[in-house]
Amino acid sequence: MPINDVGYRKLKNGDTSSLFRWFAICDIGVQLALKSKWVKRIMLSAWLPVTYWALGFFLVEKAIVADQISAMSQGVDLNQVTSLALQESITNRFSFFPGFDDLQEVFNTDDLAEIRNTVWRWMLMTFFRYPQAIIILFLIGFIAPSLISQDIRSRAFLLYFSRPISRLEYIFGKICVPSIFIILATTLPALILYIIALLMSPDISTLPQTWDIPLRIIIATFGLVIPTSAVALMLSSLTQESRFANFSWFAVWGLGHGAWLTIVLATSLQMGLPLFHPDVMQSEIVSNWSAISLYNSLGSLQSYIFGFETFAESWRGIISLFGITAFSMTLLYRRISSPM
Amino acid sequence: MTSLISLKQITKSFKSIRALDGVDLEVQAGITGLLGPNGAGKSTLIKLLLGLVKPSSGTASFLGYDVMKQGRQIRNRIGYMPEDDCYISGLSGVNAVQFSGCLSGIPKTESLRRAHEILDFCDMKQERYRMVDTYSTGMRQKIKFASAIVHDPEFLILDEPTSGLDPEERETLLKRIRLLASKMGKSVLISTHILPDVQAICDDVVILSQGKVKLSESLATLTRTAEPSFCIRVLDNLDRLADALEKHDVEVSKNPDGTLTVASQSPELPETIWSAAYDAQVSIQSLIPARNSLEEVFLSTVTDPPENGGTT
Repeated sequence: MPINDVGYRKLKNGDTSSLFRWFAICDIGVQLALKSKWVKRIMLSAWLPVTYWALGFFLVEKAIVADQISAMSQGVDLNQVTSLALQESITNRFSFFPGFDDLQEVFNTDDLAEIRNTVWRWMLMTFFRYPQAIIILFLIGFIAPSLISQDIRSRAFLLYFSRPISRLEYIFGKICVPSIFIILATTLPALILYIIALLMSPDISTLPQTWDIPLRIIIATFGLVIPTSAVALMLSSLTQESRFANFSWFAVWGLGHGAWLTIVLATSLQMGLPLFHPDVMQSEIVSNWSAISLYNSLGSLQSYIFGFETFAESWRGIISLFGITAFSMTLLYRRISSPM
Repeated sequence: MTSLISLKQITKSFKSIRALDGVDLEVQAGITGLLGPNGAGKSTLIKLLLGLVKPSSGTASFLGYDVMKQGRQIRNRIGYMPEDDCYISGLSGVNAVQFSGCLSGIPKTESLRRAHEILDFCDMKQERYRMVDTYSTGMRQKIKFASAIVHDPEFLILDEPTSGLDPEERETLLKRIRLLASKMGKSVLISTHILPDVQAICDDVVILSQGKVKLSESLATLTRTAEPSFCIRVLDNLDRLADALEKHDVEVSKNPDGTLTVASQSPELPETIWSAAYDAQVSIQSLIPARNSLEEVFLSTVTDPPENGGTT
């Protein structure tokens, strides 16, 4: 006789597929994370930059339309840019972002489709790299440290592993928790920005001109989610105290980037140039050591995915991220296995 | 009868420490008590049955599955209540039980229904909505027990289920376990140090010591005395009855609890006892067959092992 068969309803034995058991771990992790007021606040603040970038897309498309009206009056091909209005619009709003110079080359061409695609890609890359990267740093810093450390402290491992759950499913379920928040804070706003940009463009011909951008957003999401979640969970698995994992998370980012900034400072002093001068940033020592910063490595990968760096330019960052991810996952797996 | 657990020459070593040393064991349906001093290998044996540790050598099957290769299938059909005070911080009692159901593959809504039913079965009232972190030890034990049975497993492994419970809660939990076995056909393996618990509900007993099965026998056989004997409680003078019995040439011993144990090879021992009581003008309150205490059996097995790896 089944325990649950209390007579008022028939017992249904429709178990979920074993392929989705990890989902229960992810689901409960998201529920617990959302209990934190700070996580909710950070999630709300993650959507604020969308307004700035949406306005940027509006001005870009406004400048393009103005350009096309001007072209019509001059009897020139509508697909050729004839004025500098677009360039001015972008420069006024985004010139203070590092890497703005990458965009200048495209203005040498008069092909509207290429200009639009490049400008959109660049704007979305800056959206990923600057406001959202900082927000993710704090978001993951609040969510991930307790994910495994709390299971170690409360000895919850046996609750998981006495069920039909493998260690890989456990890790996958846990990794999905920060991943979902990263997707909600970056991918979803980025895709919505893309849709806003499409809606602001003059006609549907924009879609074939920019079809690759959603794919780049999704690939960039994977590039962001996998290393950050792996590092955060690895740190969480090393301690029973989530505050230590929390401190380590910020230390990994802070120390790596701090060390690289020190190299930049030393180089600029040596060269007698201002800090972040293009010659300083392109110097061999600064480029070679860029990968010690997790932030730079992620930026390098994103530049590659959005098409602003070649593999030859970004391989150090990509290899560094791959190494960090592999190391973190191996250590994480060993830590999960050890309490048994 | 097919064995639910069948271990043959199982050995498990952790570096230089041999936690299990050539364990041969057959466990049948019913309630089996797993006894042993600290470090005897009970926890290792349980983890091995759960498929969480692999044996160094030997073969093991559990519910017909190979323990080495089919741990997942085994864990799908069993419920495990760990000894450790383990819980997921931040969840309410009912959500903790629901989560356990979800981990076993039950859809979320169905799992919540079952969690409520099981908590009703465990006599958990409105406290189920409180955070597990705020629970007393007894309530956490209830949550662990409910989590172990929420997915309706056919075999239950309970590791120290009554530790930290007050006598009333302990008695209630033992009744629930007995109910699960007798009415719902579940088989149970209880690992415990509390011998009265084993004596109260178990059908069979396995005693592990130094990684070996020292004894595996039914409880009834273990506690049976060597010769027919009875335990007598009287309403009035115990000494008068003892003197009268000695005159009938039977072995009499006084127990600290105010009873007499009477033993004799004679098949007419009950008649002799009644006759002596009549002679001594003593009223007998109870007359029950005497049993060996499990504690004596346990101590004698652990200190002077009979090396019996029999079948329960």
